[in-house]
Amino acid sequence: MNLSRITVWSRAATLGKGVRLAAGVRRTGEEELATHLQPRRLIVSSARSLAYAKDLFLGKLNKNEVFPYPEISHEELEEINQFVPPVEKFFREDVNSKKIDEEAVIPQATLTGLKALGLFGIQVPEEYGGLGLSNTMYARLGEILSLDAAIAVTLSAHQAIGLKGILMAGTEQQKAKYLPRLASGEHMAAFCLTEPGSGSDAASIQTRATLTEDGKHFVLNGSKIWISNGGWADIMTVFARTEVLDADGQKKDKITAFIVERAFGGVSSGKPEDKLGIRGSNTCEVTFEDTKVPVENVIGEVGGGFKIAMNILNSGRFSMGSACAGMIKKLIEMAAEYAGTRKQFNKKLTEFGMVQEKFAIMAQNAFVMESMAYLTAGMMDRPGLPDCSVEAAMVKVTVPYSIGCVFVQVFSSEGAWVCVSEALQVLGGVGYTKNYPFERFLRDCRILQIFEGTNEILRMYIALTGMQYAGKILTGKIKEMKRGSVGVVLEMLGKKVHGSLRRNQDLGLTGQDGLVHPSLTVLAPSAKMLEENAVLFGSTVESLLYRYGKTIVEEQLVLKRVADTLINIYAMTAVLSRSSRSISIGLRNHDHEVLLANNFCKEAYFKNNYWLVQLQKGSPENNDANIKKIAQAVLEKRAYICSHPLDRTY
Amino acid sequence: MSCAAAEPRWLHCGSAFCKNKSDSEELQKIVENEPQKNDRSLVTHDDLFERTSKDSKTKASFNKVVEVFSKKDIRRRGHVEFIYAALKKMPEFGVERDIAVYNKLLDVFPKDVFVPQNFIQKMFNHYPRQQECGVQLLEQMENYGIMPNVETKVLLVQIFGKKSHPMRKYQRIMYWFPKFRNANPFPVPRELPKDPVDLAHFSLTRIANDLDATVTVYQHPLTDITETGEEISQPHIVGIQSPEQRALLAKHNPNRPVFVEGPFPLWLRKTCVHYYLLRAEPVPPEEKLEEELDPELVGPEQSLFYPQLLSLDLNRDLGDDDSFDIDEVEEGPVYAMCMTGGGDQATLAHWICRLQETNPILGRVPTFFRLEAGSGELQTAAGVQYNPGQNPQAGPEMEHITEQEAARSQGMKQ
Repeated sequence: MNLSRITVWSRAATLGKGVRLAAGVRRTGEEELATHLQPRRLIVSSARSLAYAKDLFLGKLNKNEVFPYPEISHEELEEINQFVPPVEKFFREDVNSKKIDEEAVIPQATLTGLKALGLFGIQVPEEYGGLGLSNTMYARLGEILSLDAAIAVTLSAHQAIGLKGILMAGTEQQKAKYLPRLASGEHMAAFCLTEPGSGSDAASIQTRATLTEDGKHFVLNGSKIWISNGGWADIMTVFARTEVLDADGQKKDKITAFIVERAFGGVSSGKPEDKLGIRGSNTCEVTFEDTKVPVENVIGEVGGGFKIAMNILNSGRFSMGSACAGMIKKLIEMAAEYAGTRKQFNKKLTEFGMVQEKFAIMAQNAFVMESMAYLTAGMMDRPGLPDCSVEAAMVKVTVPYSIGCVFVQVFSSEGAWVCVSEALQVLGGVGYTKNYPFERFLRDCRILQIFEGTNEILRMYIALTGMQYAGKILTGKIKEMKRGSVGVVLEMLGKKVHGSLRRNQDLGLTGQDGLVHPSLTVLAPSAKMLEENAVLFGSTVESLLYRYGKTIVEEQLVLKRVADTLINIYAMTAVLSRSSRSISIGLRNHDHEVLLANNFCKEAYFKNNYWLVQLQKGSPENNDANIKKIAQAVLEKRAYICSHPLDRTY
Repeated sequence: MSCAAAEPRWLHCGSAFCKNKSDSEELQKIVENEPQKNDRSLVTHDDLFERTSKDSKTKASFNKVVEVFSKKDIRRRGHVEFIYAALKKMPEFGVERDIAVYNKLLDVFPKDVFVPQNFIQKMFNHYPRQQECGVQLLEQMENYGIMPNVETKVLLVQIFGKKSHPMRKYQRIMYWFPKFRNANPFPVPRELPKDPVDLAHFSLTRIANDLDATVTVYQHPLTDITETGEEISQPHIVGIQSPEQRALLAKHNPNRPVFVEGPFPLWLRKTCVHYYLLRAEPVPPEEKLEEELDPELVGPEQSLFYPQLLSLDLNRDLGDDDSFDIDEVEEGPVYAMCMTGGGDQATLAHWICRLQETNPILGRVPTFFRLEAGSGELQTAAGVQYNPGQNPQAGPEMEHITEQEAARSQGMKQ
């Protein structure tokens, strides 16, 4: 039974063209859907394997998911190649990022230009007036959009989360009514979830929607904070509590998603927040006071808003990787320009090892981010079942790949921060001034680690989702072990001894039929490292489940390492897959890619080994106990409690 | 030290002593009288202190006596007895915590005389009475929590030498004192605030130990004379309540009473203050409402950002279970605390009345006053409104601050 449930979650489908095909299919009720799809899933699951990331928790490399590296068709490539230059030209010539940052507003002319380019409806299907681009192509555009963070945030608040609810789960009528005007940019969208008392904790949403007596409207009351585009949006996806009768006939509060037009009345937005970065974007409080929302404007079904929110958030993340990569590529150019001309001690900056190292770090980070982002986007674009309903697609698209998206977000947000900081460092004091855009990039990219779930929360998500998955499969085995079943213990021991004797694990990446490019000296060592890490990771997860069971939810420091290791393994996979493809088809500078891939794999391998060894230790040995104690002492007094070094007792 | 050794040995002058200025006439008189007294009785040194300080027992007069003794006889005859007597008298003069006075007293010892000169002297207990006296002096310092300073050390070296018992005592004090000085995580200041409102503020935050808790002065102390000439005094009421307590109180079942209990004592060094609690009986298990979490919002693969719980059938392994087996005794919740100048029911009713402003539920909850030392029965009051004037039945007279038991806690060390 469990297995069938997992398969529901693990199914992959596409957001792009696949969904468009499926969009015409009538929505079915939840139960009907379940009975309708369940048997088919079981059959399908044996054919199509589970998502890659989750399988890593079992120590398996589901290589067919990630090898070969996804490609797009010639038509798509041509389409995107036609599309990119005008956008690039627009950003180069018509966008004054410095002014946007200083005046904290995006000029109307710029917005009009963006609308004319169709950038307000990148993923909206063509039948609704959008560009109808796939995730991969969206990611490609993200690279350019990121050159101005304020515009990127405005656009992504509009379409990555703002209108996504309608796109994913809206009815035909809702789509027809709202999407065309949203896609053209005539209306702007916003996503209203966060509340003063409910940041990451969605269970504490206070905004309430009550059904009117005639049953035709919901009356919406409450306020939402930190709403991107809150001041400009005409159409908002709002999440509110509604009373729902559950199976036992009892009244229960459930979260429901609504499409709210500003024109409904009672919607007011506060003063835009004065922010550190992305200053041109509009972030403010939005208050709903007796806003009457027609029942037709419920997205999905009443009480089903939670899943919608989850899926919207999870699906919007992958583009961050390409966006960060785009930004870093730009930074590399700017910093290299400076380093190439500036002379100190009669030497160019480029000749100093420590400066060179910074460029290597930047290039490597950009490479890894790019690889991860396009791998994830490609997996999301892979065609799914053509006849599945929209709802099913919605659930499936995001859940298996949401971990991948989260990897991308966590890795790239942190990588971007490091890279921007390094680029600024190359320029030294000059970079710190407002004469150069580095300080703006630094301020702008700080938000990446915060919004759409802070990186801490995303790490928990990664680790716990995988733990849950692995736990379900391993529970029986672990219980047997705890009971002292000789057979299982011997099997485990045998595995361990086997593993230690043959340090090199063979998961089929290398060798005769290996998926990584077979050239012995090039990628094979890195692939071996990946295999070794993956196997060790699997056994570590098993021992963690053995040790902590379901109480692992409380072990955040452990989960952090689990998540970090997994992100690294995923990144290793992505770079190996990408550079294998590059060698195979002979892309320009593929030797450089191999260099970057090998360098990254080596670094990640050492880090992973360190974390995995720490994970196998108890809290006193791996410093977790100390960390907790320090924090507790400080937080108890809410101050740094050490005596001053100049204090004396006598 | 080296200079002391160079001086003639019968000139037992310490540095501190030499600097002193001449004394008043009265003292001169005593100086003249003293030798005769000294001959007559063994308890003369006590007498000396008594006589010098007939009117005032201060540091100045104590110092005078010490100076008088030092000056009267170049040989410092009877200095051991004098020091013992002085040590005993110190608390009376209020100088028991004054390092300067201890040093001055130490200065009474003749210098160099008791320093062992050869290895035989070093081996045996050289001048045991004097050494014992020095140790006694240090011990008294220790008992009052006074840390010796460099001057003390110099004096001890001059008097007893580097390897004497008093010097050892000094070293031990210097080893342990700094270590224990900050051992108490909740130190009480030597000087407590004089103002009862400030004192109540200090005491309440000390008991509550909650950084979120807010202290409110519900009523300032006031003494006024009305037109009719009656003196009206209004005791202070200072209360403390944390947001958490407020939330707990808001969830209180209005059919169950809350109790105002007290007074309970709190000792702050030598001062005892009393406080009152607003509390309730523990909630019976059948009434306990389990906070139900919507599994859709917190369950695995469901949570918006990450699951709050995993649906696994695996528990923590024994090897990683660091929790202790603790028997938990459930107590009733404490909703608020207060300190007041008057422990009568009227004053406390006023407190509850003011608490009602931030905790509206108190208006609907029956409140019982269980004040100690009363008649022993429960004094009830209707839950809704209190009028302090209508409740003449005064509670027990409470001495708010008792300066008693000074003797008992005198020995309390730092």
